[in-house]
Amino acid sequence: MSKSSRTTTKSKKQPAVSVEHLSVAFGDIAVLDDVSFEVKQGEIAAVIGPNGSGKTTLVKAILGLVPATGKARLFGKSLDSVRDRIGYVPQRFDFDRAFPITVEEYLNMARNKKTPREQIRETLKEVGLTPAIEPMLLGSLSGGQLQRVLIAQAFLNNSKMLFLDEPSSGIDIVGEAAFYDIIKHLNEDHGTTIILVSHDIGVVSGLVDRVICVNKKLLCTGPPKTTLTERNLSKLYGKGHALYEHHKHDCPRPH
Amino acid sequence: MSTISTIAHGRIDMTALELLQYPFMQRALLAGLMLGVLLASLGVFVMLRRMACFGEGIAHASLAGIAIAVVAGLSPLPVAMIYALIIGLFIYWLERYTRLSSDAAIGILFTASMALGVVLMSFTSGYQPELLSFLFGSILSVRTLDLILIASVSAVTLFWLFKNIKQLTYMSLNEESATVSGVKTHIHVPVLYALLSVATVLGVKILGIILVSALLILPPATSRLLTASFKGYVIGSIIVAEAAIILGLISSLVFDLPSGATIVLAGSVLFLIGFVIRRKA
Repeated sequence: MSKSSRTTTKSKKQPAVSVEHLSVAFGDIAVLDDVSFEVKQGEIAAVIGPNGSGKTTLVKAILGLVPATGKARLFGKSLDSVRDRIGYVPQRFDFDRAFPITVEEYLNMARNKKTPREQIRETLKEVGLTPAIEPMLLGSLSGGQLQRVLIAQAFLNNSKMLFLDEPSSGIDIVGEAAFYDIIKHLNEDHGTTIILVSHDIGVVSGLVDRVICVNKKLLCTGPPKTTLTERNLSKLYGKGHALYEHHKHDCPRPH
Repeated sequence: MSTISTIAHGRIDMTALELLQYPFMQRALLAGLMLGVLLASLGVFVMLRRMACFGEGIAHASLAGIAIAVVAGLSPLPVAMIYALIIGLFIYWLERYTRLSSDAAIGILFTASMALGVVLMSFTSGYQPELLSFLFGSILSVRTLDLILIASVSAVTLFWLFKNIKQLTYMSLNEESATVSGVKTHIHVPVLYALLSVATVLGVKILGIILVSALLILPPATSRLLTASFKGYVIGSIIVAEAAIILGLISSLVFDLPSGATIVLAGSVLFLIGFVIRRKA
């Protein structure tokens, strides 16, 4: 089934994410103000905005990691009733790299009771990793390998929705292209809804079905082609920002 | 010199096995071995969560609990445990619900409690054997009641720890991912803090306020040098702790040295050996 036909057939279902009047404040400082939007099931959506605009806070508020007012529903339900269908990769995975834990042990910790142990190997395959990585120490992995393992951890329990916060940070440009191929694979072949936080509009415009432009408030949302206009980008990043298309060439990623 | 150390000193030519025939030595060894398993297991999470200051802070803060007990004429160990439990949970609350960083929260409570302890102690006159025994540890003075307390706390803590080891480790590596996937971090984290506080005070009994955090840090730090899996790390940490306690305790008796400090020195030597092995590997 092509992605467009799958999206059409799923359009009558509950939205994957439904956010209504979401606001977050840390003390007296408002970080998000009255944000509302929807993401359909099977879509890849990107939350974009300048540094400090509240992108990460928005994702954390949806996932109940920071206190917020307003409503966020996932697959039409409260977060607690769909936790087993959600995977999350935070922006920073700051751990002690000398800590002796293997990839297999780490993924086994993330595995819930319904997921068989064999699923670890299968999931690693889905993110382009071989079984040879299982006995390797988590702290010995390269940035690209670690990011794939983190995606595997988020997807391990057959998650129907992944939240990925700046997933390509710490990966070189070639690794980044391969990494976005994995995201496309999980979305197109498994129907996983993906919400990613990104500051890279170039990548986002070629990959996602929907952008959610945030700078404390929701400034725009919709398909990138019609949403990432010069006017909207100026509102988001300030004057002088626009997305320019140029001729096809061999760059490993869209930009 | 205390009566117990005089006995030990008087039998300096005894073998370790002969020393083990004495009930005080049996209690000391049993208490040390139980606390070794307890503190080394908790130490794995102390290292993983980078909270080495926590054990240090709780141990020092427990001085206030000991002082309260001495002034009120109560048994110091249970009072110090309750005081440390309150402080441990207060540190958790400050970390979560204020803008204070973890080390600042620990620093404030640790120094305030130490100050309270010193002020309270000034109300009691004369020599304070209880205070000295808690400052430097006195494993040879462990009573049967202390053993029961250590065994009970160890059983409850280790049962909880190993029942939830998967979630605790996952949570300690990345709390946010664990929370999203349904790990009850809002329960597990404060329980970990509470149990760590109580266990640290039990450790004060053998190593003293000044040295107890060594048993939380040295065994996992040594094990980390030599193991290549989490399972091996936990087991290795316990083995190192037990080895340090046995070697330290026997050495302290044979050479008439302070037991707590000798156990820490034995742990330090094991760390050094682990370091050399790792460098050569």
